[in-house]
Amino acid sequence: MTRFASVLLTVLICLVALGQFVQVITRYVLEIPVMGLEESLLYPTLWLYMLGAVNASRENTHIRANVLEIFLSTERQHQVLAVIGEVISLIVGIWLTTWAWEFTKYSMRVWRESPTLYLPTFYVDVALFVGLVLMMIFTACHLLMHLRALFSPIAEPAIEGGLK
Amino acid sequence: DTLKISHIRPQGATIDNELRALAEELTTATDGSVELNLFPASALGDYTSVQERISVGAIDMAVQPAATAVDRRMQISAFPYVAANWAEAKKIYGPGGAIHSAMKDLYAKQDITMLAAYPVYFGGVALNTDAVNPGDPTAAKGIKVRVPGIKSFQLTADALGYISSPIPFSEAFTAVQTGVVDGVVGSGAEGYYASFRDVTTAYVPVNTHFEVWYMIINSGTLAEMSDEDRAALETAALEFEAKRWETAEADQGAFEQKLADNGATIVSLTNEELAATAAHVRAQVWPQVLQDVGQDWGQGILDQIGE
Amino acid sequence: MIEIALFAVLVLVILLTLGVPLPYCFGAGLMVMYFAGDVVMKGNMLWGFQQLGNPVLLAIPLFVLAGTIMSVSGIAASLLNFVNIFIGHLKGGLGVVATVSCALIGAISGSGLTGVAAIGPLLIPEMEKQGYPREYATALIANASLLGLLIPPSVTMIVYGWVTDTSILACFLATLGPGLLIMASFSAVNIRMARRFPLKLNEPLKGAAFMSEATQRGFKATPALLMPVIILGGIYGGIMTPTEAAAVAVIYAIPVGFLIYKGLDVRTFFGAGREAATSVGAIMLMILFSMILSQMFVLESIPQAIVQAIFSVTENKALLLVLINILLFLVGMVVNDVTAIILIAPLLLPLMQAIGVSPIQFAAIMGVNTAMGGVTPPYASILYLGARIGQVPVTKVIRPAMTLILLGYLPVVFLTSFWPDLSMWLPRFFGY
Ligand code: NA
Ligand code: NA
Repeated sequence: MTRFASVLLTVLICLVALGQFVQVITRYVLEIPVMGLEESLLYPTLWLYMLGAVNASRENTHIRANVLEIFLSTERQHQVLAVIGEVISLIVGIWLTTWAWEFTKYSMRVWRESPTLYLPTFYVDVALFVGLVLMMIFTACHLLMHLRALFSPIAEPAIEGGLK
Repeated sequence: DTLKISHIRPQGATIDNELRALAEELTTATDGSVELNLFPASALGDYTSVQERISVGAIDMAVQPAATAVDRRMQISAFPYVAANWAEAKKIYGPGGAIHSAMKDLYAKQDITMLAAYPVYFGGVALNTDAVNPGDPTAAKGIKVRVPGIKSFQLTADALGYISSPIPFSEAFTAVQTGVVDGVVGSGAEGYYASFRDVTTAYVPVNTHFEVWYMIINSGTLAEMSDEDRAALETAALEFEAKRWETAEADQGAFEQKLADNGATIVSLTNEELAATAAHVRAQVWPQVLQDVGQDWGQGILDQIGE
Repeated sequence: MIEIALFAVLVLVILLTLGVPLPYCFGAGLMVMYFAGDVVMKGNMLWGFQQLGNPVLLAIPLFVLAGTIMSVSGIAASLLNFVNIFIGHLKGGLGVVATVSCALIGAISGSGLTGVAAIGPLLIPEMEKQGYPREYATALIANASLLGLLIPPSVTMIVYGWVTDTSILACFLATLGPGLLIMASFSAVNIRMARRFPLKLNEPLKGAAFMSEATQRGFKATPALLMPVIILGGIYGGIMTPTEAAAVAVIYAIPVGFLIYKGLDVRTFFGAGREAATSVGAIMLMILFSMILSQMFVLESIPQAIVQAIFSVTENKALLLVLINILLFLVGMVVNDVTAIILIAPLLLPLMQAIGVSPIQFAAIMGVNTAMGGVTPPYASILYLGARIGQVPVTKVIRPAMTLILLGYLPVVFLTSFWPDLSMWLPRFFGY
């Protein structure tokens, strides 16, 4: 899983870098800028952002400000806090996902096109919904693991490392 | 009702002042029943996303160019060299004109009602370097210019002999200032004065296109208004447009003068040069953009204009 | 409506304290605005997602990736060795080496984490060997790592320029002055502190030995030193936009890392790609929802309401600047740099303009304050990373870190607010 994520994300980010690099070369060295390169780059760019965020969910490395955690001492308190955090994440995340679904339906209906190559932007837009759904699945997995840790007498130390 | 209305120029720009005046008139005319809440300077996002948000009813109104992402036929509004002068422009883009009617129909398909057209200016080329053969479109100028990500502008810039470079608007000023590009295509004197005056040393009013914005409102919002309020809004919008047609040409001249006062050379072209340029660009660009918008549909409108 | 907006912010802060991931904290703020404030959610996803497509933002993942490649490839080591030969043998010199190396790394990376990630593992053991307390060395490098956000390129300035529609190049230059001053003041504070430590100093190299060593290390450091030249020279020399420069930095770093410094291999390369993409994904998801929340505030004219509310209390410029610095300090305690900028910059910019602070100077004010958030507890991401790298308990690093902040950083924060020329002279020099 980690290996798959590494390859996919690295390929996406390098594709984006390469596209921008070609832009400089064609404009500055060859003086024939490529039309439509920028709008094509939207595809790897936004999928990169969303899949990067999905991977953050998988690894449980989203940006958090664990302010309260510092004041808690027992493992059990930490687990309770983690459960509360994941439950809230799920509720808010699912609400956001429904709006992302609205957006996806809208995008499918109007079928927007990019300005010069007329590429359909639906395949960019759908990344948001797909990404959020995957994030919710991983969040639910983390919740289950925290619950299991909470109700089983032996704490599982593997949780912090995320899903491998 | 309080209507949220977006436009793309900063506070204090001509359009901003005119809309504030319109808002006051409307409030007076409807005894405070209709109020406009202005959001200048694209505070609600760029015009592409504002148009879509008007279409779904998240924002009420805007005065802005037509965004072509949802319907590429809207490019007809920015076709290069359709009108040769202000009189022709009024016939084509003004009330009852071929493009005016066409745009109204296209907006309606997106649940948007076009209340008025707002003529802005004839476009030109702003350069941060000396102009090279400005009147001869066949001469390669060796000058890189920033073009907006809109096909007709890119083709027009190429047809005029410039090297077009697609750079996002947010990076455009910096790109000109540092010399990534040496000029800008896609706007006119007013637009360049607003955003590029400090990097404009020469301005070529080569009439690239006729810039026209549209006052648009979500059709549902309009339908939900009381009959009196709706009538007041529609009347005010028509007056707003009529007034603008009277002042637009002088306004364009005023902004060319402002550019000149700011140190730019205004490179005047002769009527012959303008006519030759128009013929050249039409021959180069029209066939391609016509194909994009649908040959029959587009040609139909151009024929209407020709008559 | 301003009450509901404040309530939304309150909910946001509570969830944040509970440790809910930031994107969902903003999502909860949205829920409050939607259910209690009756604002339209329709069309917001569309708008927010289209905002993410702005090419300006693309500079963020690319500068982050360039920094990540730098830190795994061993480029940092060559920079460090080079700086070390000149000042490493002086009393307190190694601390200065740490600071200056972080600044050099800052000129390559756009993030505040790269310095501590790249320099920390190499220099913390080295400093301890010379006699610096381990927690002090860790604190110093974590603090100096903030220079990554102040020496251009900088992720926070990209975001600031983007949300406030200010030239990103001007913003880059605005934090450069304060950044260099902070580099100098950290060095000075370190030299003063070093007197207290029982340091064992290395014998300085002399004459021919020094020359040959300097040449050799200089030669090894050249490809690394060329990188800022390419990035900043490319941007300010009119060859490329910041986003393109970020891409060029990545394309340049890959062969240099693989072939010249050799720290990069297939495994670490893909690891670096995943790491950069993941941290960027987390940032972007947060940007998405915080942008939508901020847009809701704009739609409800909250910024104007805030300006009015504040002006009804005072219109005194100096007092307002002090208050804003305090506010930013408090915000920086609980959220990270980019978040603070997205949330605060659009709300306060109208106020700053009303009291005559230019958007470029405000960029510097926001820049130095929000960067400091990386080391101010309770949420101090850069300090925590440092503690992990230095293998010292967080509680022990906080004290020396706060000493450095108090003596070295805070004075510059206040100078940035009250001495406009500090942040304005470079942008002015370049014509902004
Ligand atoms: Na930096
Ligand atoms: Na903090």
